[in-house]
Amino acid sequence: MRSLLRENVRLLEKAKTARFFGTLTSSRHGSVNNSEINAFVSVNDNLANSARGRRVAIKDNICTKDFLTTCSSSILRTFDPGYDATLASLLKSRGWNIIGKTNCDEFGMGSLNVYSSHGPVINPWNPSERRSAGGSSGGSAAAVAAGLCEAAIGTDTGGSTRLPAAYCGIIGFKPSHGLISRWGVVSYADSLDCVGIFGKDAEIVSEVFEVLNVHDPQDPTSANSQVRERMQSQFVASKVSNMSEKSFWSTVRVGIPLEYFPHELDPSLLKSYKNVLRLLLQRGAQLVPISLPNTKYALSAYYALSSAEASSNMARYNGKLHGKLYPLLRYQIRILRVAVGEPASESSTRHRTPIDQYAANRTAGFGPEVQRRVLLGTYTLTADAFDNYFLQAMRVRSLVQQDFSSVFKMADLRESSEDNIGDSGVDFILHLSAIRSAPQLSETGQPGSEIDSYVQDVMTVPASLAGLPAASIPSGLADDDWPVGVSIVGQWGSDHLLLKACKELTALLSVASNK
Amino acid sequence: MFHVRHATLLLNNRLTRAYASAPELRWPGWAVVIGIETHVQIKSRHKLFSNGTHPSAQLDDSTSVLAPFDLALPGALPVLNRVCVQLGIRAAIALRANCQRWSSFDRKHYFYPDLPAGFQITQHYRKSLIQHPFAKGGSLAIWPDKVIRIEQIQLEQDTAKTTHLPRETLVDYGRAGVGLLEIVSRPDMRSPEEATAYVKTLQHVLRSIGVSDGNMEDGSLRCDVNVSVNRPGEQFGTRCEIKNLNSLKNMTLALSTASDSSQIDCEIKRHVDLLERGESVVQETRGFNEDTVETFTLRRKEDAPDYRYMPDPNIPPLIITESDVRAVREAMPQVPEEIRERLVEQGLPDRDINVLLSIDSGATVGFDGHVSDGAVTYFTEVSKGRSPRVVLNWIVHELLGQLVFHKLSFAENPLSATQLGELIDLVTAETITTRAGKDVLRQIIRSRTELRVKDIVREMGLLLDTSSLEEYCAAAIAALPSEADAVRGGNPKPLNKLIGYVMRQSKGAMRPDKTSECLQKLLSSG
Repeated sequence: MRSLLRENVRLLEKAKTARFFGTLTSSRHGSVNNSEINAFVSVNDNLANSARGRRVAIKDNICTKDFLTTCSSSILRTFDPGYDATLASLLKSRGWNIIGKTNCDEFGMGSLNVYSSHGPVINPWNPSERRSAGGSSGGSAAAVAAGLCEAAIGTDTGGSTRLPAAYCGIIGFKPSHGLISRWGVVSYADSLDCVGIFGKDAEIVSEVFEVLNVHDPQDPTSANSQVRERMQSQFVASKVSNMSEKSFWSTVRVGIPLEYFPHELDPSLLKSYKNVLRLLLQRGAQLVPISLPNTKYALSAYYALSSAEASSNMARYNGKLHGKLYPLLRYQIRILRVAVGEPASESSTRHRTPIDQYAANRTAGFGPEVQRRVLLGTYTLTADAFDNYFLQAMRVRSLVQQDFSSVFKMADLRESSEDNIGDSGVDFILHLSAIRSAPQLSETGQPGSEIDSYVQDVMTVPASLAGLPAASIPSGLADDDWPVGVSIVGQWGSDHLLLKACKELTALLSVASNK
Repeated sequence: MFHVRHATLLLNNRLTRAYASAPELRWPGWAVVIGIETHVQIKSRHKLFSNGTHPSAQLDDSTSVLAPFDLALPGALPVLNRVCVQLGIRAAIALRANCQRWSSFDRKHYFYPDLPAGFQITQHYRKSLIQHPFAKGGSLAIWPDKVIRIEQIQLEQDTAKTTHLPRETLVDYGRAGVGLLEIVSRPDMRSPEEATAYVKTLQHVLRSIGVSDGNMEDGSLRCDVNVSVNRPGEQFGTRCEIKNLNSLKNMTLALSTASDSSQIDCEIKRHVDLLERGESVVQETRGFNEDTVETFTLRRKEDAPDYRYMPDPNIPPLIITESDVRAVREAMPQVPEEIRERLVEQGLPDRDINVLLSIDSGATVGFDGHVSDGAVTYFTEVSKGRSPRVVLNWIVHELLGQLVFHKLSFAENPLSATQLGELIDLVTAETITTRAGKDVLRQIIRSRTELRVKDIVREMGLLLDTSSLEEYCAAAIAALPSEADAVRGGNPKPLNKLIGYVMRQSKGAMRPDKTSECLQKLLSSG
């Protein structure tokens, strides 16, 4: 009996730490395994190799009962949440096997998945070229792209699902803010944080979305059931779900936003974009040029707001108290002893108040990008800077939201009023997901590369600021033979329509590429 | 009208009132200005943003005091406890404050072990963001002629409780996340006595409407006091804030000289001394040392921390509609002022009302707004269909005395309202005598019996029975023949001896007047 117990413990330990060496079943450039791409940070081998049930991987900033949740941060390297995020329990209850936790940028802060205590993720498209998988959900995107699982869960605060999906050549979907529960998702910037879904095809993404699209009373920002019913009834009324490919495209108006062609955009990606437009025109879709004039302020507003919220959310990690708090919960103890430190007059030069210790632990425990954003956010929130930075960014955010609402056919379902702008509006907006194909990892260490990596998000942050649903779909290859993604963005609550468009668009593109 | 205004004058404030209206001899030539920020723990079974339990709530094994959110565990999110909001609305109603239709929550950041998240969720007023506390304005009458205005009331989280030991600090996370009401007064108090009366009146109001235990001793009510002095007629002086005064005694001590002759350097005196020496008061936050009975500098204005307030991105705005307020108003216990008004209208004596109300001010407050049935409820129940004056008389003059004698609190009162009602009915119907009624009351409190009063009376043989009265009287005449003869002879005095005999033999069950009648009848006929 005791040996059996010991064996179980051993297996459990293994499940939490083992590296996944499963062989890829599909890859453009022959088979690779996890050790080559560094997508997983912990794996349950039994489930990964189980014949029953489908495999899903979960980003390591989402709490799971069976795995550690490190957020790719050394400050949480031993964090065992002891509970499943709502999305994890929902997936389990529908027979999905959670096979492991995936690498990401620390706490979701980054666009290239290089700021990770577990090391960078290598894009599986061609591991020998050592390109970035994108971030921050690079591990989740790479795991699906490499065929290690059918679906993966990521997060998307400013593009963290759409960008790696584009770089890895798969579908990545960020639903409307408030549809998928964030209970158990470690906060980076709550007002922007969304759960994202990666899948090997549009059907799987839809299926996972339906599993997770439920109200959760534990998440105060979770859309209530009335709003969800409105969403559902509006989609049913539109009769889109059963439309044939041909009749679907003939009903659709697609917005082409003038502001989504920044000078940083690699021109070779435009070929792919134009190809998509041509195909849509062929199928009878209406292409409508639109303008979203406040887009140019979106990136700065995004970094001001997300950093401010990050500085607030990171305040709990002091490397001292945090590890002790969870046992309090587990063993129902309330009182903790905290050393107040040595008196300053001692010969040692250390003046170790709790605050000094926090500073030392945070300096050692946070990586460079988290530190940068915490400092930026802390400054943004100081009394002197608050009006000029934080409030100004809030104003830009609402202007960006108004921009979007003024072009969509559908009304924002979060608002009670139902005044649609009518037929002159568009169903969704189409733009490139990124300004380039996946960059080489060696490029990312260059001086000034932090700023460059912020520019990676320029296409994706506006939809995040407005909380809108958006998906990146592989649309072909750039001149360097690496994947290009296009993004479709819909009105808040138009997720079903967007997923239908996703399905039709991937079908359209695969037919075209097979010709 | 006087009675209505008089309503808020509590018994225990009367003495200080007389003191305060006396000419100010303690700091002649100086006027004092005091404003108070009070933090009261909301007595909800659960915390403000989680289902973690209030540390003083009874626990079964399955519930933990602590919830993931209150320990700021990664991934945990806040869910506003509506009960805390409802109790907040109760306080706003009682303090005549206006509930705001729209208010919101902010994060206040600082690093300290008592704050697991590194921020506290509060309702910080900020003009540029148009954020509001949930209630604004309001007033509290502490004396008939003294009303303290309320600036605002806000909801916020309590921090963990820290206890400092020489080389380490104990942090009790049970308190982290408990709902607090911050009640901010205007600088309307002019003496330490007014400040004390304000806190006592506030305590009484919050307890009686079931919002908070309001105990300074256990920290469920804490005060930060702002003090300044100025020459009468001139502008207010520079203020200092004294943090966390945790008992009324400390409050008075920190604000005035102690009643003894001991030379205690307290806040007002400190200001007066500084100003009289031609120095100026520096705006700062001060702590209070209970051992030395002195305040000391915590931090100067220029060292004030930047709390980096930020709107909380998770908690939706708090919407309080008029119908929400109406619903709370209908379900809440009456505030003391209204109760007194009602009792005064019933023509009850002021003194007895004061006694009745003062019992409730010490009553324990239940969780989630359940006010345990106190003396007023008891009185109301017993006086249904009975004379309120008679009922109040029984409660104040018989019941309370017996409870005190047996060292019982009102909550432990063994005499049920039904029992007292029956007892009063029997006495009123002259089925038993008043004296017998008092005996029964004593007997019930002593024996804690739940029997019906009628059965107890029968058991004790106290039932008035005319037939037995004649037997008792005949027996008395037989036992005291010489007294009987004297009465027959026209001397009325020995009649009392005969009556006394009947009383003793009947254990007081016979009414003296009826006994006298019966004896006279027997003696004159015989």
